Amino acid sequence: MPKYYGYAGKILRINLTKSQVKIQPTEKSLITVFLGGRGFNSKRLYDEVSKDVDPLSPQNKLMFATGPLVGTAFPLGARFNVSAKSPLTGILGDSNAGGHFAAEMKFAGYDQIIIEGKSRKPVYIFIEDQEIQMKDAEHLVGKDVHETTETIRKDLGERTVQVATIGPAAENRVLYAGIFANLARPAARTGMGTVMASKNLKAVALKGTGSIEIADPGRFWKIVEEIEEETYVHPQYWPRRVMGTTRILMLADKLGFLPTRHFTSATFEHAAEVSGERLAREYNVKNRACFSCIVPCSRFYVIREGEYSGLYGEGPEYEALSSFTARVGNPNLDLALKAVNLANRLGLDAITTAECIAWAMELYEKGELTKKETNGLELKWGNGEAILALIEKIAYREGVGNLLADGVKRVAEKLGKGKEIALHVKGLEIIQADPRGLKGYGLGYAVASRGADHLRSEPFIELSDDPQKGMEMFGIPEATLRLAHKGKGKLVRYFENWCAIVDSLEVCKNLAENMELLPFNRAAEITEAATGFHFTEKAMFEIGEIIVNLERAYLVREGIRRRDDYLPARFLKEPLPNGNSKGAIFEIEPMLDEYYAERGWNLKTGIPKAEKLRKIGLEYVIQDLKRNGIEID
Amino acid sequence: MMCSFSHENTFGSSTSRITVIKEDTFGLDLPIVCWHCTPCNAIRNCSEKALERSEEGLIFVNEKKCVKCGKCLEACIIGAIRLHPERNTPLICDQCGGKPLCVEKCPTKALTYIETEKQQPKLPNQVLEEALRRWGIIA
Repeated sequence: MPKYYGYAGKILRINLTKSQVKIQPTEKSLITVFLGGRGFNSKRLYDEVSKDVDPLSPQNKLMFATGPLVGTAFPLGARFNVSAKSPLTGILGDSNAGGHFAAEMKFAGYDQIIIEGKSRKPVYIFIEDQEIQMKDAEHLVGKDVHETTETIRKDLGERTVQVATIGPAAENRVLYAGIFANLARPAARTGMGTVMASKNLKAVALKGTGSIEIADPGRFWKIVEEIEEETYVHPQYWPRRVMGTTRILMLADKLGFLPTRHFTSATFEHAAEVSGERLAREYNVKNRACFSCIVPCSRFYVIREGEYSGLYGEGPEYEALSSFTARVGNPNLDLALKAVNLANRLGLDAITTAECIAWAMELYEKGELTKKETNGLELKWGNGEAILALIEKIAYREGVGNLLADGVKRVAEKLGKGKEIALHVKGLEIIQADPRGLKGYGLGYAVASRGADHLRSEPFIELSDDPQKGMEMFGIPEATLRLAHKGKGKLVRYFENWCAIVDSLEVCKNLAENMELLPFNRAAEITEAATGFHFTEKAMFEIGEIIVNLERAYLVREGIRRRDDYLPARFLKEPLPNGNSKGAIFEIEPMLDEYYAERGWNLKTGIPKAEKLRKIGLEYVIQDLKRNGIEID
Repeated sequence: MMCSFSHENTFGSSTSRITVIKEDTFGLDLPIVCWHCTPCNAIRNCSEKALERSEEGLIFVNEKKCVKCGKCLEACIIGAIRLHPERNTPLICDQCGGKPLCVEKCPTKALTYIETEKQQPKLPNQVLEEALRRWGIIA
């Protein structure tokens, strides 16, 4: 097999129906056009999982992939992507996680692991370099994420084995169950854990003795040292070490985009009590880092007194913390930590879980959901007991939890109520930032290829509210003003391309993107130094362009059009009632027009134009879409 | 990763002289590295006398004598020895000739380089227990 620098060099395909294993070399054509990680997965999903595949059938494929800088001393984290067709949204599903799993996957020899078919009995896969075993997982069924991870490590007699597992929520087919590595590193969005469960696969355990070679060590170290120097003096370095992303909660409250009580308020009167600052002051005892990362932003907390005294764990990050505090109106930090811990152990996506709970609470508060319908639960804002009970009910599909386990879009349709306040795009629940107070993020939710999500674009630069930046980058001062809608098409396109390469190199978006440590030119330089393949700044931008367009084509093939790129009515019609973004609404039409024009997509349909696809080398996609009866300009 | 790269020119945890045990449940990462004990159990157990001690007191492998049996691995009381995945000879920390790169590059300055005669190193489970006690997780 050819040995590539930077890459592990092999792709592993496991068919669980036939108990077959195939090991192939990583294709050079994939490397130079898609880099790795998300790029590899999205390309293969487009090619191998067609329109007629049911997400929970054996025909769906679950793919793990990582990137060329992972498993080296590259200091900006080591991540992996999990992709499949999503059971929650029916379109492209993918999720990304950090920790130590990705590096171990490289040491075991694999850039990508593709899991096909369905096992007859519950199994877990143990990968030890070239040796692949399907091991009996009967004894793991029903076990939570912590118990499963510990049991597998004990069974294998190896403390250093890396485990990615699902919890009971996935086994019970909750449509938004995730895959968890290192206990608290979830690839949780879009229901990838549910796909894993549908294959009767409980976990993937890895151990590798291989190593990664670098093409040009001299150049590699020079860039690494530059990044190290910039990191240690970066203004975000210490806030991230102390608070991780939980530092955002107070900022969101101050600027007026903190989703509170299901987005009916943009500030939370108890923000300080549930903030990252308070966690750091009173709860955190230790920092942890992902593999090879120089910013140890993960925190370990211990609750020392009160009702939840003795609870400890890693995390939480902003999304989960804010989800189980402001979004559901809960002022009790201890309870929020308990809720995050419970959701993690049961294997749920915290964002979607909290949206389902907050949606039900809003209906209950309005009198549109009765106590009978909630199984006797008093779903008032911030009722801790009800929040914890609902998490369990969802995970085990009990009573009202059985309805909420299908996600907010489906439950609203099924009950025939609360459709206008079901806060999702394309079936994926919106994250913890009110789009009315952050227009670039909002446009990002609308057009993201996995549904409402910020990590496809993360245009953090608009938080600067500095028109000079907008002028320099896009020739439009408003592009970097968070409450303006002009210029956001250009902004989101640029940041989507950036995120696509960060996700494909599988490094950390907090550092590479938010801290601006890996702009396009440096991404090209380090990838060239690591792999020996030639990359330029322009080529990197184009790789982002290719990935975003291919994912869009996947969505188009599944039936997604402009009509699906809308935010829920709440954001388009109800002005923000309070806070520092008071009065703002979301102007979707001009933003979509500008974005499509920027992308080279048809303004009416949102379908990429043939000319565009041809220009970026996706000729075969034009033919494929036509074969699927889709009209392309 | 500094360790494997400086010794082997590649990146890999299996060629590092440091083993890190990850106690995910308790949020701890516990590094294990050779203490160069006197006396050393691994030296005593090596039938080929392939483990030698330098003038500075550091244990090193004489690869010419080593028969790759792995007995040293079992003998080491703290589990600090692993075999190279291809050469099968033991990998033992050489303190990078007195200027350990792991210490130099540690992002949080969690590692310090001191003389062990002055301070007895701690076993990973001792470190774990002390941390859990300090945090009030165990009494």
